[in-house]
Amino acid sequence: MTQVDLAKEVGVRRETIVFLEKGKYNPSLQLAHKIARTFDLAIEDVFIL
Amino acid sequence: MKPLKSSLVFVSVLAMLSIWGFIAVYRAGYIPSGLDVGIFAIIMISGVYAFVTHMRRYQAEKVGLPPDDELSTLIKYKAGYYAFMTSMYIWLFIFLFKGYFPDVETMLGSGILLSAFVAIGLKGYLARNFHENEN
Repeated sequence: MTQVDLAKEVGVRRETIVFLEKGKYNPSLQLAHKIARTFDLAIEDVFIL
Repeated sequence: MKPLKSSLVFVSVLAMLSIWGFIAVYRAGYIPSGLDVGIFAIIMISGVYAFVTHMRRYQAEKVGLPPDDELSTLIKYKAGYYAFMTSMYIWLFIFLFKGYFPDVETMLGSGILLSAFVAIGLKGYLARNFHENEN
């Protein structure tokens, strides 16, 4: 899955996915939930605190 | 007409009118001063910036990506906050050096434009170097 595909899936800009990957942005709970659901995973499996 | 398409049309018409107005004044025999050329340049730069921004947003919308999201909103708020804090100092310096301005309108215009440029610059900087735990 490309960054653009994921961005489209969760309804954000591609730049937001880039910043998430780099660990420079902490997403809202809603966005974290959407991303986790896209990959069929739990939030804590996708994001590390 | 979609909002983004209509703003593209608006910006294009504004840029066209600015150029046309400048040429019309110039052809009428009025030689523009340095300040006039500066104002015209600022109008053109603002027009080009607005056009490029709207083109990017329009292209993003065309491929199904939202032009704005939670991060871009956060960047806008942060840039606005920093620009506001900076503008306090900008106005302080403008009033300290008010003797250097030819009239009050130029002084106020310069202050407003400078604040706007600081806001745009900060927005651009944060869009590239955003770090939630550092900025």
